[in-house]
Amino acid sequence: MTGVRQARCDVAVIGAGMAGMAAALFAVERGLSCIQVGNSGGLLFASGLLDLLGVQPVADGRLWQSPYEALAALAREEPDHPLARVDARSIRSAFERFVAALGGAGLRYVSLGERNRKVLTSIGTIKTTFGVPLSMVAGVDALETRPPCLLVDFRGLREFSAVQIAATLGERWPGLRHERIEFPGCEALPELYAAHLARALEAGETRARAIALVKPLLGEARAVGFPAVLGLARSSEVHAAFEAGLGVPVFEIPTMPTSVPGLRLSGALEAVMSARGVRRHHQATVRGLAFDGGGGTATLDLEGISGGERVSARAVVLATGRFSGRGLVADREGVRESILGLPVLQPDSREAWHQRDFLDPSGHGINRAGLRVDDAWRPLGADGRPAWPRLYAVGSILARQDWMRSKCGSGLAIATSWAAIEQVARELRAAAAG
Amino acid sequence: MSSTIFFSTLYASLVLCALGLVWRVSAWFRLRIGPDARDVASSQRVAAVFRGAASALFGSRALRLLGALFLDVLLLRKLFASEKLRWFGHLLVMVGFTLLLLMHALAPLVSAKLFPGYQPTLDPYLFLRDLSGAMVLVGVALLLFRRRADFPQPRRLIDWAFVTLLLIVVATGFVFEAYKIASPRAFYRMTEQFIGSTDRKELEPLRAVWASEFGVAFDDLKQPVDPALLQQGRKLQQDSCASCHSKPTSAFVSYPVARALAPVERMLDAGRANEWLLYLHVFACFLGLASLPFTRFFHVVAAPVSLLVNAAAQNRAFSTAGRASQRALALDACVRCGICDARCSVAPVARYLENAYLLPSHKLVATGALAGGRLLRPGRENDASPDDTHRDEARRVAEGAYLCTDCGRCTSRCPVGLDLADLWRAGRDDLAAVGLPPPEQWVQARSALAWAESLEAGSGQHPLADADAAFAPLSADRRSFSRCVQCQACTNVCPVVAHSIDAEHGIDLTPQKVMNLLRLGLRDLTLGSRMVWDCASCYQCQENCPEGVRVADIMLELRALSVHRLGALRGRREPA
Repeated sequence: MTGVRQARCDVAVIGAGMAGMAAALFAVERGLSCIQVGNSGGLLFASGLLDLLGVQPVADGRLWQSPYEALAALAREEPDHPLARVDARSIRSAFERFVAALGGAGLRYVSLGERNRKVLTSIGTIKTTFGVPLSMVAGVDALETRPPCLLVDFRGLREFSAVQIAATLGERWPGLRHERIEFPGCEALPELYAAHLARALEAGETRARAIALVKPLLGEARAVGFPAVLGLARSSEVHAAFEAGLGVPVFEIPTMPTSVPGLRLSGALEAVMSARGVRRHHQATVRGLAFDGGGGTATLDLEGISGGERVSARAVVLATGRFSGRGLVADREGVRESILGLPVLQPDSREAWHQRDFLDPSGHGINRAGLRVDDAWRPLGADGRPAWPRLYAVGSILARQDWMRSKCGSGLAIATSWAAIEQVARELRAAAAG
Repeated sequence: MSSTIFFSTLYASLVLCALGLVWRVSAWFRLRIGPDARDVASSQRVAAVFRGAASALFGSRALRLLGALFLDVLLLRKLFASEKLRWFGHLLVMVGFTLLLLMHALAPLVSAKLFPGYQPTLDPYLFLRDLSGAMVLVGVALLLFRRRADFPQPRRLIDWAFVTLLLIVVATGFVFEAYKIASPRAFYRMTEQFIGSTDRKELEPLRAVWASEFGVAFDDLKQPVDPALLQQGRKLQQDSCASCHSKPTSAFVSYPVARALAPVERMLDAGRANEWLLYLHVFACFLGLASLPFTRFFHVVAAPVSLLVNAAAQNRAFSTAGRASQRALALDACVRCGICDARCSVAPVARYLENAYLLPSHKLVATGALAGGRLLRPGRENDASPDDTHRDEARRVAEGAYLCTDCGRCTSRCPVGLDLADLWRAGRDDLAAVGLPPPEQWVQARSALAWAESLEAGSGQHPLADADAAFAPLSADRRSFSRCVQCQACTNVCPVVAHSIDAEHGIDLTPQKVMNLLRLGLRDLTLGSRMVWDCASCYQCQENCPEGVRVADIMLELRALSVHRLGALRGRREPA
């Protein structure tokens, strides 16, 4: 319990959400040593679907079949949007690398291609997305062709209702049926939790009993949809077993966050980080961040490790997210950046934070608040120049974007991380040469 | 000193010491800790020890035993790994004391036989004796300095008396030697015996030498000393004294003391200091010898035995009989060093509850007291006229025993290698047998709601009273849980929720519901809940919480709080 431990690295990534994970991954793939600070619990809110760009412009709610055409429109209409500042070739590479890493950790995605896909949600609405886990892809096909289809749910799993989905879609999908079954072994429990069912289905016996319960209900069905509980770390195996057992394509429907696909994603990314040698400080927070005058090294004081740790880094990437990730903090004075107090681009007054109508399709001013960055993804200080020569910002903390309404959360995280790490690598090479 | 007195007291001390040893060692076979120990007769336990010792000594494990003797017992390897300064102090005391015992106290039996020409007044023996004494003093000082302040062990008078005796032995040893160096009376006794003269005139050259170079405090010597006289005296000294006397300057402690005593040397001589100093020194030694088995310093016997038994067992499981003896032995082998206390996972809870029985070294003493019937006898808990002090004390012991998280740190850090984890398990079973079952048993006998109602009726205290802030800092501070967004991540990763079988026997609240009750200011509703009491402390909830809420830490705190508050409620007499 004594003394402060010391560590050094090329890149310190602050944040362990989608952007922080992508930045750490791309850094080690470029041969840079990396320390990552932060709790990855925020990833549990992810659906497992990887959006790139679905809607542009936000005010019109226009959906795009091709994310790359949407990106081109974005570049024309909102050239300051962070995603518009990354070229399509980089975005393709970034997504390929990210999805390959997840696949290596057992979380497999269907090959990305050029088109957005439509996915059924747990309340019967349809979501436009880009990257789809293999376990959900049969649902994309079923939604397109609408064959006779069975949706199954489990009594006690409150966050997923097959009845509701069928009721919402029934008129447009006549062959859609629903059935409710008892989850094997949980007959006496009043309430079920998705992650526990997912873990239970990794056991062959429980799985066989579940399949045996569904099989007689198949009827005409040409596909079967389940809530996303088909296995946790071994989801490919569980999904394959259901397809083999039922003899028809089987797909998962993402449940409400925090969901099993979110747990899979965070588990897979944790595994990737540890396999690639990223030093993770999961439970730590950054208590202090200071830079030496010459732009040589940054010093991070971490808290939450017994005795604390002092990290010296040649470059720092801020991937701390927005309000729920606590990268941005809002109070009566306005919006602040939480670690360094960097200037935040924001509406002039609190009255301008929100529109009069909460559901206004064009979104709210506060949603587009965030950090301004220069061409090299370095956040700007009060004087309009980079706050520190090797401090970078990526992901949702960036200004001039509304990722929820644009359906571009993962795209923003992955693409800006790729672009920023490219700059980090270039800078560090130049520093080493010079 | 009259040899009659010397030997009669020596033998009396030896007899007392032997009786004490027999009494203490027999406890290793008599004392029953844990329900499994109750089924084994003492004779079986003795037999098991003989069998084990025989197979260890005459088997392939003998070499291993030798290694343990050298590394664990003599070099204190485990203590070295735990704490260097204490190891150094302990080694100083051990080596110094052993050298004094063998080379000095038992000189006629050891030194005189091993080293031809041994004389206590010759170097290197003269130097070594002072060195050994100094090692003991420095070592004791280091060990006293290293004593921990948090929840110090209550020391018994006899233990302090023993330390005082040890210091008296060393101090009188130094003073007695110093007195003899400076004593003219001793000088004349020697000249009478070896030169056959006590005549001052005749001995003048020798006196000059002994005064100027050997520290004898003559007060009738003509100053300054004539160099010719000194020269003459040196020759005389060489012929008559040198074979038995080195210069006392090598007695680096006693010699300066002798110089300091010089002004009062005549008084000491007149007061027959040679006799009473010797009596003091020897009787302190004998008293120490006789009392050793009755103090906690009996560990000089028990700790090596325990270390050797562990080495002989070589990680194999003990038989029931062996384990029963091992537990009793552990009570004596514990040196009360407190290294375990400093590493204890629940030490913070001990501080909140002001209950030292959570800490391993205190719990060990209590386990012994319980097994020895000094705390409570079976059935005593429900006596019509219970001894309240004893019962309250026993309740505190139980609180300590059951709030232990079984993390095993005490066992892994014990410098004597005691299997404390096994002792705690056995102790808990004994507590249950005297009517002090684990708290979850009585907590879960009622529902969380029933407990909360009793709390409300009993105290009228607001659920988040200020008094709790120091005692339960997390659950009394809204900042620690107000960030909870009820996302259910904790519940989803909780293995206890996952293994909940049915509504009746499963958990009543999920972790996120516990957090929500805290948010609603309904903490009392959580105290008796199964979630709080069945929490496995796996920390999955805390590690996965997107908002960084310390869910598992809060659960542990609620458990401690509930023992405290529901326990108080339980102790209160119900109106008839």
